[in-house]
Amino acid sequence: MISEEKLKILTESAKYDVSCSSSGSGRKNGGGMGNGYFSGCCHSFTPDGRCISLLKILLSNDCVFNCKYCMSRSDCDVPRATATPEEICELVVDFYKRNYIEGLFLSSAVHRSPDYAMEQLLLTVKKLRTEYGFYGYIHLKGIPHADERIVHEAALYADRMSYNIELPTEKSLKLLAPQKSRESVLLPMKQLQRERDLFRAEKRKGRFLPAGQTTQLIVGASPERDGQILRLAQGLYRGAGLKRVYFSSYVPVVHDALLPDRPAGELREHRLYQADWLLRFYGFSAEEIVENDGDLPLDLDPKCAWALRNMQFFPVEVNSAPAETLLRVPGIGTRSAQKILDARKYTRLGFDALKKMRVVLKRARHFITANGKFYGSGDETAVRGLLAAGEGQPVQLSLFENEAARSALTGEL
Amino acid sequence: MIYFYDGSADAFLTAFLLAYPDEDATLTSGGKQLAIGQETAFVRADPARAEAARKRLEQLDKNCMHDLDMLLRSGDHTRDMVAFNYFKLIATRGCPVRKMLAEDAVIAAEECIRRVEFEIHRFHGFLRFMESASGALYAPVSPDNDICDLLVPHFRARLPRFPFVIHDVRRKKAAVYDGENVFLAPLEHAEVALTADETAWQNLWKKYYKSVNIPSRERLKQMRGYMPVRYWKFMPEKKDG
Repeated sequence: MISEEKLKILTESAKYDVSCSSSGSGRKNGGGMGNGYFSGCCHSFTPDGRCISLLKILLSNDCVFNCKYCMSRSDCDVPRATATPEEICELVVDFYKRNYIEGLFLSSAVHRSPDYAMEQLLLTVKKLRTEYGFYGYIHLKGIPHADERIVHEAALYADRMSYNIELPTEKSLKLLAPQKSRESVLLPMKQLQRERDLFRAEKRKGRFLPAGQTTQLIVGASPERDGQILRLAQGLYRGAGLKRVYFSSYVPVVHDALLPDRPAGELREHRLYQADWLLRFYGFSAEEIVENDGDLPLDLDPKCAWALRNMQFFPVEVNSAPAETLLRVPGIGTRSAQKILDARKYTRLGFDALKKMRVVLKRARHFITANGKFYGSGDETAVRGLLAAGEGQPVQLSLFENEAARSALTGEL
Repeated sequence: MIYFYDGSADAFLTAFLLAYPDEDATLTSGGKQLAIGQETAFVRADPARAEAARKRLEQLDKNCMHDLDMLLRSGDHTRDMVAFNYFKLIATRGCPVRKMLAEDAVIAAEECIRRVEFEIHRFHGFLRFMESASGALYAPVSPDNDICDLLVPHFRARLPRFPFVIHDVRRKKAAVYDGENVFLAPLEHAEVALTADETAWQNLWKKYYKSVNIPSRERLKQMRGYMPVRYWKFMPEKKDG
């Protein structure tokens, strides 16, 4: 059994990776333990509001790379630990049996060399699948610069793999993660995508990354704008067939002159995720949401902001608008749109009916008519004010709020 | 008239036939404060009449018995009337009504069913097994709705080699999978001799739970929204605070 101390070290170095989903794999139980849960399943929630679905852990945090933003970088003075493949397998099986977890999220620092680290990851998942008869979910991190044959074999055992792009441009990567290059991350992603397509086209036996690939970007450690980030995400969805792009707002865990001292706001991360949803489920393109060199507005959600820039499309009549138009109304999500589409087959919908159906009208009422009636405010500036006001309570400014203000009053500087 | 019945599907269908023409009908399977002079009827299940009603209703909506099963499992005290109004609408309209989402009866029924189904999904995640000395798994649960037998197929599919018991401690019954068959049995209290390593695994799990948290981003309200406090009782990572 792995020691509590080792578990602590290897978990704490893994926890800043944001991906947690266990969805997308329908792997069947083949006689041992476990299966895939296609929609994913959360097993617990931590006090930071995040879910625990997979056992998120590093095989080792002993790294030869020296990426500036990373806690496990080689010149950082932190306790180091390396687990054996057996320790990990045992942990997964006993946690899974007790229904603590949905599977394993295994990553590793670049221990000794990229090939060695990737080999150890492969060894662990192979053992877990073949010797321990585990059919639950496995998400495996790829190590940049590792040999492509090891990567290929690992994909035969994992449900999902991911390479973290981390920084949106080559320039930032050179500055902050000197041993990584954009190529070392993008090439294996492309390789896996190609092999996955081939595997499917030839209808080969077995599975090859049934849940596809994902990636992660750190937001706020480098100067890229939201527009650039969203265009990159869109390119990855369309071109590289990625399932998810995760955003991680930068938290300073190490201090370095090249890194900002303050965390990037969580609100910025939230807005990026909202925009990401618009790309994936609402039929928007990155170009519609934000200009290339611009940022998403913080006071409004991106759908609202888009609607206010495009008032010529509104209001739309809920009883006749097609699905894709309804989805573009601020405040109407996929669930509400479906409800409206179902209900209006039987009766004409007025505002009362919408309210009863729990369609949230706070934002939507400015952009729709129901049975010909309009209950919103027609004036664009008024709407903008109303919608933005709900996002945070206005605060009365105080003359005595901080030291600087006080010293300005007294003249003592 | 108030129609009392025992909460079973057969009794519900029998009562439904009696109450359907009654303009002022109240169905209940729980306790009910009676007004002076209120008329009451105690309806006992009549399998033959229930079967006839079932057949007829299934002709109108072939999936409606699934809805009835879900509604009667609800822990909400309004479930009897929600089910009655929903089935009355099916009978008067003579067709499936589940998509008539602007109808009050459908809104109420849909929400009630969704809550039951959502709790099943939640327990797929929040249920915690303990390993007994014999290797069988034991999980105590206390769900809002009567769902312990509906949790079995999920765990049976992923743990086919492990016999397990899911014990609804509130309703004093258990769903049992013995490695081959599944059955439901009354169970007041269970004494389980745990395997020697059980505490050590639970401690590792608690350690993991503590380590994976990011303390600088505390959002307790969000955590409680996703995982309500009433479910913490049987979760090792939460029960000791």
